[in-house]
This record gives sequence, structure tokens and C-alpha cells, in this order.
Amino acid sequence: MSVEKNDILIKVVDLQKNFGELKVLKGVSEDIRRGEVVSIIGPSGGGKSTFLRCLNLLETPDGGKVYFEGTDITDKSVDINLHRQKMGMVFQHFNVFPNMTVGENITMAPVLLGKKTKAEAQKMAEELLQRVGLSDKINEYPQKLSGGQKQRLAIVRALAMEPDVMLFDEPTSALDPEMVGEVLQVIKELVKTGMTTVIVTHEMGFAKEISDRVLFMDGGIIAEEGTPEEVFENPQNPRTKEFLSKVLY
Amino acid sequence: MIDNIVRVLEKYWPLFLEGLGMTLLLSAIIVLCGTILGFLIALLRMSRLKIFHIKPLNVVAAIYVEVIRGTPMLLQLYFFYFLLPEMLPFMDLPPTICVTVALCLNSAAYVSEVIRAGIQGIDKGQTEAARSLGLNQRQTMMKVVLPQAIKNILPALGNEFVMMIKDTSLASTFFAGELMTVYKTVSGIVYLPIEPLIIVGVVYLVVTFTLSKLVQLFERRMAASAA
Repeated sequence: MSVEKNDILIKVVDLQKNFGELKVLKGVSEDIRRGEVVSIIGPSGGGKSTFLRCLNLLETPDGGKVYFEGTDITDKSVDINLHRQKMGMVFQHFNVFPNMTVGENITMAPVLLGKKTKAEAQKMAEELLQRVGLSDKINEYPQKLSGGQKQRLAIVRALAMEPDVMLFDEPTSALDPEMVGEVLQVIKELVKTGMTTVIVTHEMGFAKEISDRVLFMDGGIIAEEGTPEEVFENPQNPRTKEFLSKVLY
Repeated sequence: MIDNIVRVLEKYWPLFLEGLGMTLLLSAIIVLCGTILGFLIALLRMSRLKIFHIKPLNVVAAIYVEVIRGTPMLLQLYFFYFLLPEMLPFMDLPPTICVTVALCLNSAAYVSEVIRAGIQGIDKGQTEAARSLGLNQRQTMMKVVLPQAIKNILPALGNEFVMMIKDTSLASTFFAGELMTVYKTVSGIVYLPIEPLIIVGVVYLVVTFTLSKLVQLFERRMAASAA
């Protein structure tokens, strides 16, 4: 398999997802290239999060295919756990593990899944925590962390698996306003390292600044996509225009 | 009355002690079997195995729990008291065994609900985070969900144990030899209905009170270690 920059890392073909009668995704196709930073914006209920969660099969699609590094991961015979190891995910509500220390949150998965020895994982945890300014918290329990600190921990927990792509599901939506900046800063630095990133966000300014490409999702489809300049400065779809006129950024 | 209590105790204390021993033994067996069985039933109840649109294991476990919870325990004791010897005629089962089996099966249903509630009380986001890291379902359960659920489960389980101790008294219907059986025996001999009842009541109270205090102590230590 080629690992050159710009090859297609995730290929989504005609993705469909229903919750009961409600059609949340009505046939979405999209390619995510290696090294690319893609932001997904749009109104609530438009299918952004569902789309993102289908990429690592946290939601099982009802139709269509998702190829990750050339493998159709919607195929039932594929071991999804192996592929998920290479797809980091960060959630709106952090979902750090309260029964483990900050350090253990990071080392648990790599050690359990045989990617690292305990010593290696420990060393990596120290480095990662230093990167996000949480070095002094390594032996604390998450209960003692602020929301912003929890989210920074959640990001490095995902990074500890050395993923090929990072998926962010509204990473700042549950944060107090004064903590949004610190989390966005961490994501910004991560993007600079060349990490392939897909981020569902309501932070329009941020999306504009970091993205290579912006997808506007509404009504279960990608209603518009393009460079940040195209989508934000010169939207073509009336729904994009309407949405952008309502949000402040 | 006090005089009578003292007299009864003086003469029959070994019997009461024996009854207490039997009650504790029965309780211990029921707690052990009930917990193990209850855990298995909880797993069945939460299994995702699907055939067409039905989850068969799920349904079986749900029916089991509903039947046990929806019928009187005394009825269940009668049922197994008569059923087991009929099913296994060659084994010559003593009544106490049949009754113990019934009590175990009963407590398993209640324990399974305690365990299920404890596990399902853990935020779904915890499972999603673990799965997104690449952990499989079993690893997620063992490393992330169960360690958190146990803190919800243990106190509730402690209260369940207290209930079980009291429930063993129903076994006296079949003269299982525990405290209430001793009550029946002693009151028959001394022709006093109330005094032996008070003695047995105090013994139950001491046991259950001690246990619930222990549960509380344990709960407090858990809360402290939760950090």
C-alpha cells in the first residue's frame, strides 16, 4: 500500500444511516486524503456527527461503504478493532476513564493491545502530557481536571495509539468558553504535524483557519464543499448562505 | 416475659446457636450461588446475539427474571420442593437441598438485576471511547465498564445479601433447620409462642444490622478511594 501524501486514506461511498424512520445520512460520498484537514460544519441534526461516527463504525451504516486504507471496513469479516486502533477519536464529552489516573488513561490501550511495553508507554505518556501542558497531572485522577484539561487528555489518549487519522466530534462544544482556546490550540499544533484530521465543529473561525477543505452538511447530505475561502466567503448553496448568516464567528 | 426468655435461652441456647449456624450457612450458599448465577444471567440479559430480529438469550433471561420476581418466593420454594425429587428420583434429595436450590435461583434473579443496572448505569461514552481506541467488547467490559460498575453494584449487592438472610426464614416451611425452624421446635416444646420469637428476632437483627453496617463501612471506603 502506498503511503505517499495525498493518497486516499478514507473513502466513503453512498453512506446511509437511519435511526428508525429518520434518514440521518442519505447517501454521502467523500474522500479524505492523507494529511488533509477537513472540517464538517452545518446545523444540528444535519448528520455531521453521525457521518463522523460512521467513519470508525461507532455507528453501523445501513448502506454504502467505508474504505480505510483500502480496506472495506463495513465488511463484516473485517476485524474492526484493528482498524480502530489507527483511527483516533475525540468526543464532545471527553469520555476520559475516571477509574484510571491520567497516565493510565494514556497507557492502557497501547499496552493492552500490545503496541507498546509498559515502559515505552509510560515514556510516551510523559512526552504527550508535556506536549499538552499536563505533565504535573500524570498521577492524578481525571476527577481533579477541568473540562479543558480532560479534553486535552482525551486527545493525547487517542494519539498514544499512533493513529493515521484523528476524528474530532465537536471537541469544544461541552467546554466553558474560557477553556475552548486551550483545546483548539492543541488541535492546531496537532494539525501542524501533518496529522490527517476530520473535525465536526461549530467554531467557524477555527474551521476557516485550519482546514484544507470544509464540508457543509445539512439534511443528511453534503450540501456544499470546498476550500475555506470558497465555503465561507462565497457560498453557492442557499442553505449554506443561510446557515453562515446565522452563526457568529 | 423476661423471665421466660431467660429460661428458654438457658435451656435451649444450643438449639438457637445451631439454627443461627444453619441460617448463616444457607445465606452463604445463597449469596455465593446467587451472585455467580446472577452474573451469568445479567450477561445473558445484555447479550447482543441476534437471530433475525430476536435476541434469544436476552429473551430467556428476561422471562426468567420476570417469573421469579412476579411470583411469591414461598410458591417457588414449594415448586422446587416438589419438582426436584420428581425430576431426579434416583438422587433421594433431602428437602433442605431442594429449598436451597429454590432460594439460589430466586436470589440470582434479583442479583442479576442489580448487576445489570450497575453496568448499564455506566455512561455509553465510556464504552465508545474504549472501542474507538481499538479495544474489543470483552476488553472494554473488563478494563473500563466493570471497574466502574462495581462501585455501583457492591453496595446494592450488600443490601441484597441482607434481604437473602431474612428470606432464608421461609425455608422453615420445610424444616430446613435454620432459625425459624428452631423457633417452631422450641415454641412447640415450651408452649410459648412469643418469647422464642423475640429471641430469634434479636438474633436476626444482630446479624443483619452487623452486615448492613459492614456494607456502609465498605461503601464509605469505596467512595474515599474513588478519588
